[in-house]
Amino acid sequence: MGPYEISLATGVGIYVILAVSLNLITGYCGQISLGHAAFFGIGAYTVALLSKLGWPMYLTLAAGLSSAGIIGVIIGLTSLRVKEDFLAIVTMGVAFLFVGIVRQQEFFGGEMGISGIPSHGMTKFAYLCFVLVFAMLSILFSWYVKKAWIGFAFDAVADDEGTARTLGLDIKSYKLTAFAMGTSMAGLAGGLYAYYTRFIVPETFGFIESITILSMVAVGGIGSTFGVVFATVLLVMMPEVFRFINDYKLLLYGALLFGVMRFKPEGLSGFYTLLTGNKEK
Amino acid sequence: MAAILSAEAVTVRFGGITALKDVSFEVKQGEFLSLIGPNGAGKTTLLKTITGIVKPANASIKINDREITKLPTHSRIRLGLALTHQIVSPFKSMTVLQNVMFAAGYKKVRNIGLSILNFSRSSEKKDAMAFLEMVDIAQYKNFPVSTMPLGILKRLEVARALAIKPKILLLDEPLAGLNSQEASRLADTIKLISQNGMTTVMIEHNLSEVLRISDRLYVLDNGKYLASGNPKEVMKQPEVRTAYLGS
Amino acid sequence: MLFIELFIQGLIQGSTYAIIAVGLTLIYGLLRVLHVAHAGLFTLAAYLGVTVTNQFGSLSLGIVVATLTSGIVGVVIYRLVYEPILNKPPYVALIASIGLYIAMEELFRLIFGPFGLSFSSAPLQNVVVIFGIHLRACQIITVITNVVLLGILAWIAQKTRVGIGWRATVDDPEMSASFGIDPIRVRYLVFFVGSALAAVAGVLVALLTNLVEPTMGAVPSYKSLAIIVLGGLGNVFGTLIASLALGVIEAFGTIYIGDFLDRDAIAFAFLVVVLMIKPTGLFKSR
Repeated sequence: MGPYEISLATGVGIYVILAVSLNLITGYCGQISLGHAAFFGIGAYTVALLSKLGWPMYLTLAAGLSSAGIIGVIIGLTSLRVKEDFLAIVTMGVAFLFVGIVRQQEFFGGEMGISGIPSHGMTKFAYLCFVLVFAMLSILFSWYVKKAWIGFAFDAVADDEGTARTLGLDIKSYKLTAFAMGTSMAGLAGGLYAYYTRFIVPETFGFIESITILSMVAVGGIGSTFGVVFATVLLVMMPEVFRFINDYKLLLYGALLFGVMRFKPEGLSGFYTLLTGNKEK
Repeated sequence: MAAILSAEAVTVRFGGITALKDVSFEVKQGEFLSLIGPNGAGKTTLLKTITGIVKPANASIKINDREITKLPTHSRIRLGLALTHQIVSPFKSMTVLQNVMFAAGYKKVRNIGLSILNFSRSSEKKDAMAFLEMVDIAQYKNFPVSTMPLGILKRLEVARALAIKPKILLLDEPLAGLNSQEASRLADTIKLISQNGMTTVMIEHNLSEVLRISDRLYVLDNGKYLASGNPKEVMKQPEVRTAYLGS
Repeated sequence: MLFIELFIQGLIQGSTYAIIAVGLTLIYGLLRVLHVAHAGLFTLAAYLGVTVTNQFGSLSLGIVVATLTSGIVGVVIYRLVYEPILNKPPYVALIASIGLYIAMEELFRLIFGPFGLSFSSAPLQNVVVIFGIHLRACQIITVITNVVLLGILAWIAQKTRVGIGWRATVDDPEMSASFGIDPIRVRYLVFFVGSALAAVAGVLVALLTNLVEPTMGAVPSYKSLAIIVLGGLGNVFGTLIASLALGVIEAFGTIYIGDFLDRDAIAFAFLVVVLMIKPTGLFKSR
């Protein structure tokens, strides 16, 4: 593996964590989020700032994970107060607020972002393995959640909140848990990203990035972990492999997002279902 | 016998409209009570107030003398209520069996911790099968609910409500939309469940079935109490007849 | 003096928001779809307006072409995109709409180039002094257009047969069908009118800034989503008030809290604060 492939694969690993984590919130629990990149950003900024203070990597990553998770729960609390259509707009607001605040603060490096993030101290290949281990853990965690009773409860919440409530389910805790799990995983991905590029700017975590993550989930098939992982690998690799696509990357994402929702809302997992003739869940 | 469920002085307003005005009623252990009244009488609102879906302007609701008026819906349900919906609302991504299994696993999703640690679904599957058999739809267990006709879904509502092992079963128009033969069969099933000791409160417009299976009637009209008592005697009262026939 | 000037700048900005957002809220009221691609039509109209005006030297022709084209494209989007997926879960239409918007933005970039277009000689830039405040003609026209168009819309909704049909369809599609109102035709009409309004806003913004860029729709598009929530989804009057309020708050906010929050985030900060206090928005939703 050359340095280019290693770098590409590390990026794929980070996006897998992001997509799987959004799938927990939107796919499993049915709560749409258009601001997931903000939590990616919160993790990245936390890790960048703390590592520059000299904190060791395991502590900064843990801090990135928890800061994103805590803010995620706070946003989740808003989601309990508003109707579903509002939730999409509130989470979209979170995406704009994050960039809007970070950009104006000296403390966060303003428009220029934060550079000179300390090295992770591993070889590039070792760091790739490190990221891939976390990506594997995310997939396993997500798979476990689906199979455990909590996944069953998420299904019920996603299908029909009102009915789940009249069966005695405490909807609020489940929604908050989904937000906490998904956003803290995104925070972790942000931390891994900060060590990977060692230079972060606000734009990386804007609304378009949130939509990019959402398109991975939507194209893969909302709720299907394997579909989502497959779509993520595909969507991250495609512009890299076919260089000429790079200029049209956004056009491609937009068209894919639109096309999949319009013609095949079940995404790639829908094709999987067609092939095997049974449903994954 | 003591009341297992009581609602006192229930008043509900929607905007400027008073949907229920100072309504009180109680149900005794093991009783089969039917709530009847013309459309817009406030029957569904009353059940929704009991389950906490609708917030009343004033009310005192008790289960076994325990005040539940301030509790959220899920806590009230856990104290022994179960509700079937007037408009069938199965979980659409699940099969018939999974719908009941989820309900049967109510103890495993009581809190997040338990729901994360619990993995096995086999005992719930067994329980769910028993409930599906009780309402005669076991043969449809593996079908996705989207393919099922209304008659099956109405029964599924009942099975799912029973699966959370309630003390009191609240049925909101379980027979609506069914043909007379289906209605009569489901009414028999419900009667059987009640005879096995389940306290039952049913809203229903199908008067012939109501009269056939209820122990007692409670009549609402225009948000107010009109009459209650033995089914045949209640139906003889002139004000009840007027409310029904329209004056 | 600064106070009044900021207030007026806010009203001008708020007027453009209102003309965009009112179409969104009408569409939401009718179909419960968050039509993000609406802002794509706003951008399309701005490009058409500038191109046609430069080519033929007539702003009126530019406005007519822009409005009609956007209106028709709006109806086509409804017919080809939303109608087939209306019975799917709500996120399906929302995500499809976001995808469509992003694709449109990229298409504009590919067709018209990334650097933007300007009027070769921008019309309506002459300065008028009112009570000692210098305003350009196009700024005054923006506010007047807003008042007139939304006034007409409110009148149509309240008094005419078409408007009553629209409101009836919002309240109860089946009921209105039984009164002989064709709900499908009402939808076409709402998409046409909403998109035509977005087009008017597009041309007005082109006049105000004298610059049309591929991404010019992005910020108004997401902002107008915040506005229609604040205004009570589906509520025309609420949308007008929320738009003007946001315009004014932004004008002052940029001066007084600009160091803390950039202009485009103010709308969402305002939204989150309002929803925290009053989860149903400022006005009653229809």
